[in-house]
Amino acid sequence: MSAAITTRPPTAPVPHAPAAGGTRKRSRTRTRLELALLLAPGLVLFTAFVLVPICVAAFYSLYSWNGFGPLTDFVGLDNYVDAFSGEVFQSAIGHNLIIVVLSIVVQLPLSIGLALLLNRRLRGRTFLRMVVFAPYVLSEAVTAVIWLLILQPGGFVDELLRGAGLGWLVRQWLADPKIVLYTLFVVITWKYIGFGVILLLAGLQGVPAELREAAALDGASGWQVTRHVVLPLLGPTIRVWIFLSVIGSLQLFDLVWIMTLGGPANASATMVSYLTDHGFKRYEFGFGSAVAVILFLICFTFALLYQRFALRRDTEGALTRAVG
Amino acid sequence: MRRNAAGYLAAIAVVGVTVVPLLFVLLGGFRTTPQINSSPAGLPSPWVWDNYRDVLTSPVFWRLLGNSALIAVIATVLAVALGSMAAFALSRYAFRGREAFYTLFTLGLLFPLGVAALPLYLWLRLLGLLENPLGVAIPEAAFSLPVTIVILRPFMHAIPAELEDAALLDGAAKLGFFWRILLPLSRPALVTVSVLAFVSSWNFYLLPLLVFNDSTNFTLPLGVAMFQSEHTQDTAKVLAFTALSMIPALAFFVLAERRMVGGLTGSVKG
Amino acid sequence: MRSVIMRSGQKISVALAAAATLLLAACSGSGGDASANGPVTLTWWHNRTTEPMKSIWQGIADDFHKTHPDVSFTIEPIQNEQFQTKVPLALQGSTPPDIFQQWGGGGLASQLSSGKIADITQASSSWIGSLGEYAKGWQVGGKQYGVPYQMHAVGFWYRKDLFAQAGVTPPSTLDELNAAVAKLKEKGLVPIAVGGKDRWPDAFYYNYFAIRQCSVDALKKAVEKTELADPCFLKAGENLKAFIDTKPFQDGFVGTPAQQGAGSSAGMLANGKAAMELQGDWNPDVMQSLTEDKDLDSKIGWFPFPSVPGGQGEPTAVLGGGDGFSCTSRAAKACAEFLGHLVGEDVQKKLAATGSGLPVIPAAVPSLKTETHKTISEHVGKAKHLQFYFDIAMPTNVGQALNDAIANFFAGQGGPDTIVASVTKAAAGNK
Repeated sequence: MSAAITTRPPTAPVPHAPAAGGTRKRSRTRTRLELALLLAPGLVLFTAFVLVPICVAAFYSLYSWNGFGPLTDFVGLDNYVDAFSGEVFQSAIGHNLIIVVLSIVVQLPLSIGLALLLNRRLRGRTFLRMVVFAPYVLSEAVTAVIWLLILQPGGFVDELLRGAGLGWLVRQWLADPKIVLYTLFVVITWKYIGFGVILLLAGLQGVPAELREAAALDGASGWQVTRHVVLPLLGPTIRVWIFLSVIGSLQLFDLVWIMTLGGPANASATMVSYLTDHGFKRYEFGFGSAVAVILFLICFTFALLYQRFALRRDTEGALTRAVG
Repeated sequence: MRRNAAGYLAAIAVVGVTVVPLLFVLLGGFRTTPQINSSPAGLPSPWVWDNYRDVLTSPVFWRLLGNSALIAVIATVLAVALGSMAAFALSRYAFRGREAFYTLFTLGLLFPLGVAALPLYLWLRLLGLLENPLGVAIPEAAFSLPVTIVILRPFMHAIPAELEDAALLDGAAKLGFFWRILLPLSRPALVTVSVLAFVSSWNFYLLPLLVFNDSTNFTLPLGVAMFQSEHTQDTAKVLAFTALSMIPALAFFVLAERRMVGGLTGSVKG
Repeated sequence: MRSVIMRSGQKISVALAAAATLLLAACSGSGGDASANGPVTLTWWHNRTTEPMKSIWQGIADDFHKTHPDVSFTIEPIQNEQFQTKVPLALQGSTPPDIFQQWGGGGLASQLSSGKIADITQASSSWIGSLGEYAKGWQVGGKQYGVPYQMHAVGFWYRKDLFAQAGVTPPSTLDELNAAVAKLKEKGLVPIAVGGKDRWPDAFYYNYFAIRQCSVDALKKAVEKTELADPCFLKAGENLKAFIDTKPFQDGFVGTPAQQGAGSSAGMLANGKAAMELQGDWNPDVMQSLTEDKDLDSKIGWFPFPSVPGGQGEPTAVLGGGDGFSCTSRAAKACAEFLGHLVGEDVQKKLAATGSGLPVIPAAVPSLKTETHKTISEHVGKAKHLQFYFDIAMPTNVGQALNDAIANFFAGQGGPDTIVASVTKAAAGNK
């Protein structure tokens, strides 16, 4: 087993394997049937309940529409022009990008470290894993309520800092426009770190212990084993995490909305809080949909580029392995 | 030995930071609201059991729990079953348009779903799924499909081709390989996506809000909101309700987590 | 992928148009006959999810059913914040609720384009006069599309104990208010709490400075034309700026919620952490829910927003709004009859006794729960002008834009001209 993996780690392309195809011929029709059987149910469900509603919502973006009457006031791309010319929307995009960058720089190393730690045979490991994952199980609304209590002026954090003689660090965590975004990032990290950890833990199950032991026997230090053996094998999982994290950061909404409503003075506005605030809260459904489509296009561009340059490596092999 | 000691230290540090807000909820349920207001960071003194007892003995809580569990189980089973089938097709077959199909599924991640609420609501009404648990569970399964596929695909892909070749040489059909070898080998990833689908269903707020008006159909997130507005003054009771409402999802995680270890290496060795 | 999209691009857009039209059309089929007689069951959405009001509404419905056996009710209490999500959806469907919560003004005007809201001008003509001016907020273009069952008014709530401690009395002019703020600060107290995170409490201040600065005519014109054209609106902003510059609010007020938790502005007042708050008549209930102090009612008092020197405004004018209901067309007749019942003396007295709002007819004022509420109600009754909150009176998009501009102003962004411009801009359809 370990031999198979070392000769061809999952990140490398799968070699062409004509032998298998040759000895046992599967007809084209049969393959197609299998594909239909495998793909159709998911595709039907997904199209009906995700794609169609999304497309209809996108269609609203071409109208000036308050959500109540029939769609009559066709305005073409006016909503898009309005969105792009808005300063608040521009700054919201900036805030999203800050969160994207911070997530990768801070959360990724933290998640990997935690996952490596929690993959060891520690006593009480299940409990530790549960604690790290627990914030992810809390709903956004409850998370916001807890952190509002903890961060309120004179609340838990302030008390703690003052108690530790760090009173000069106390800030208006959610009221200072210069700080609020970073305060939110801390809460986001707390809330979503469990997601990265559980994903990476699953990835680590694909790294055989024998491999690490072998490397250690060869005199490699713990760090070297991690750096040269474990991390490369975790590559596909890390790339999936980055993908989901970037998309998630671009769509950040619930926590921000409940904790700050995007304020003060739009200092923590994100694209989705902006579309809620300036679209739905003002009964401008067409405009809100237009912002959603813009967000979609940003995410889509990222997704295509990322798939082309990063994720492709993880599935390239299967492409070269022609069937039938 | 020394490595484990260092590991413990690091673990304790991180867990310490993570656990404090959780303890705030958990212990808050054992305090009274005046205790919480007068000292936000204090410990229960004396310990009060009434909050947890009241919630646990209220039929409303158990009904909310039952509704949430039913919906989460249906959504999870649907999402994981259909998602793993699709991921199998997208990772171990080569066919024209494969990447297009994959991209199509990822589209679901790229659009803020809240914006599609109105069309989705009208659609569910046409299908007669309002006030019906399936009206929540089925769309939730559809929402979870993209993440499920994005995570499963590279995992399934990473399973060595030699195993597939061997299985096919032994006379297994490709679907037999999927069922008997690939799925068991993908267990860590399957466990992960199940947990993610379950948790996202457990916490979903918007969809049940659209679908249910009748409070007997409510799920826990709607219940927490209802409970909060009924007990605004009673922070302690709200915290107790909150703590109890996350236990089933955490229990699901703990049960699933035990099944996660093994997978590839474990199965092959055994 | 790209080729797939291009090939089917045309098909998709055609299909989309079809789907959108189909979904809307399928859901806008008429739901029944407006003039139907015979037994009818009214679906009723109200925002009282908690006791005691939840049971009081149920009781009122049961009583009505006894005297009108043909009319029964299916009551669905829905949380206040959820109406914004649920009402647009319901009005797109073919079976909207027959009676639902309605705050009037620009929001009501937007909902009219659904074509589902019943015009009850005729049906209410025999009794609507008893409400006087109050009914106007639920009219659009001179037609009655809803009815208020209780009114609200905004003023200063204050702690009697903290005022005594600092040796101040309720101020009646802006100068007196400024002096009170200074004295409270000397004692190390927070003079005024404001829930800046939620934005609408900030708007109360601008609204009131405008009401004190502008003539009633200028106010009416502003709402009518959706434009803050009169220079008095600029002056109001300058006055507000001068007031904010005296730093009367708590630290970090732009991040403080209005009503959630003991740290909110209402919670601060309830727990003696601040001396004043500019809030609606509902504040005692909110405060009581945020403190263990059972004796709160005796510790708080109320005074109207002080007069502003040099202002053209009507000195007695009050800022407020109200809670009402609208009918949809399916069972408009029965619904209108029920709304008439709600503004009758019996029900009004019952509602007044709960202290959740001010009665819409004077006869019920004596039934109010506390002396303070009676004072407020009398003050409102005597007021020569009741100004609807600007954000409710104006179209929703304009009102929200105005509130945002005011909130930014509180956070130090923009000037009086930005506030005025926000209305013009939003009214012109700019984002």
